Amino acid sequence: MNCAETTSTVQAYIDGELDGVDRESVERHLVGCPGCSRRVHVQTRFRAAVRVHLHRPELPFTLRRRIEETLASQPIAPRRWPTWMSLPRLVPAAAAVFLIVAITGTVRRSHSMVLDQAESMFSRQLPGMPMDVTGSDCGSISSWFRGRLEFPVHAPALGGGATCQGGRLVNVGERPAAYIVYRVSDGHRVTFLVFDPRDQPIESRDRRIVNGREIYLGTGPGISTAAYHDRGLGYVVTADYDEDTLTQLLTTSFGR
Amino acid sequence: MKRRPIRDDFEREALPHLSALYGAALRMTRDPKDAEDLVQEALLRAYRFFDTFEAGTNCKAWLFRILTNVFCNQYREREREHVVMTEAESSAANLEQFLSGAADGRDSETALLGRMVSADVEKALAAVPPDFRLAVVLADLEDFSYKEIAEIMDCPAGTVMSRLYRGRKILQGLLYDYAVEQGIITPGNPERVPGPSDGDGRTLDLDAFRRQKRGEEV
Repeated sequence: MNCAETTSTVQAYIDGELDGVDRESVERHLVGCPGCSRRVHVQTRFRAAVRVHLHRPELPFTLRRRIEETLASQPIAPRRWPTWMSLPRLVPAAAAVFLIVAITGTVRRSHSMVLDQAESMFSRQLPGMPMDVTGSDCGSISSWFRGRLEFPVHAPALGGGATCQGGRLVNVGERPAAYIVYRVSDGHRVTFLVFDPRDQPIESRDRRIVNGREIYLGTGPGISTAAYHDRGLGYVVTADYDEDTLTQLLTTSFGR
Repeated sequence: MKRRPIRDDFEREALPHLSALYGAALRMTRDPKDAEDLVQEALLRAYRFFDTFEAGTNCKAWLFRILTNVFCNQYREREREHVVMTEAESSAANLEQFLSGAADGRDSETALLGRMVSADVEKALAAVPPDFRLAVVLADLEDFSYKEIAEIMDCPAGTVMSRLYRGRKILQGLLYDYAVEQGIITPGNPERVPGPSDGDGRTLDLDAFRRQKRGEEV
């Protein structure tokens, strides 16, 4: 490689875009050519100096909030279907399910989807989840949802010195729902998912009656979930408590 | 089957890149208000088209591509090019000469680079014409590869190389001019020093490099 050839590749060399053989041939030339080697040195230093001086500007405090609000106000985005769910495959699949349902009556699930969703949100997404509204006053959190959902949201009162932390809009099935996060004075977290249960049936094998109300229980690793209906809405409560403590918490809550 | 709300997926994938997007938007629009609007518009568009994003691929590059698109469609016409490029490029040639011609090359270099201030670098970058500036921002500040920049800017890799080359050259030329204006350095020997350090004919060389790279790929 001569100087002219090196000249055309110096930039790619500095940018780390040359692979094995190309890089080696530039390097071999640089060893014996003070002119080219100086070019590389100067360009490398310049690049580094520019980098040092051009800081990434601080994100304006309001921008993140603005974007989250914009996203929240959007109609439900198109759902990303897994590739196996293409229409030509889906039609016969749907027909097959229909046939099975027709033959066997109903498809029994041990656990409804909304319980799975609440567990997954609690354990995987809650740490680091940005809230649409924050504050310890459950009343203000509830009123934030007004106009954003087709149903009124009342953050349920909890015992044990629990205070609200924040809320955000989420989807349950195809419909928007409210997610409210509480912190209990003993450091545990409790979340409420308030949703329209029309096409999201609540069921689970573990059913208990608390204060005359049916609740359905589920458990995940280190967490418990309880679901119930109240005045036409569906509620799923998830906490890092065992089932009995969660049931106890609900007993207190229903009594209020 | 478990179906997680798409907004959570989007927020998890896209929002970590918010600072980078804002930084690039600010350097593209040169106006904080426009930069915020640009980022918001780009993210909204990304959200609407999130079903076209292939999970597991480079989300940052995908978002930058949308940002660049929105910028070109909505802000680009407002751009005014502040410098005549040929002028800045000839300053860059003076700079090369200043650095390589002088016997005390290393001292000159240290005088120039060591006394550079952030405000001047920012001002010089802002004066680089948009396409060249964007190439510099993507490569030098965001560490995208030539291939990624080519996808973001929707142009061949060879064009990326020449935009990057000229963008850096203009930037360096402007910084040299500022340093001379401020008396930080005194212009070196005006005699032109021919040789490999002279950048003339670079575009031809780039073409040759591009051909060479293409040849290897075939």
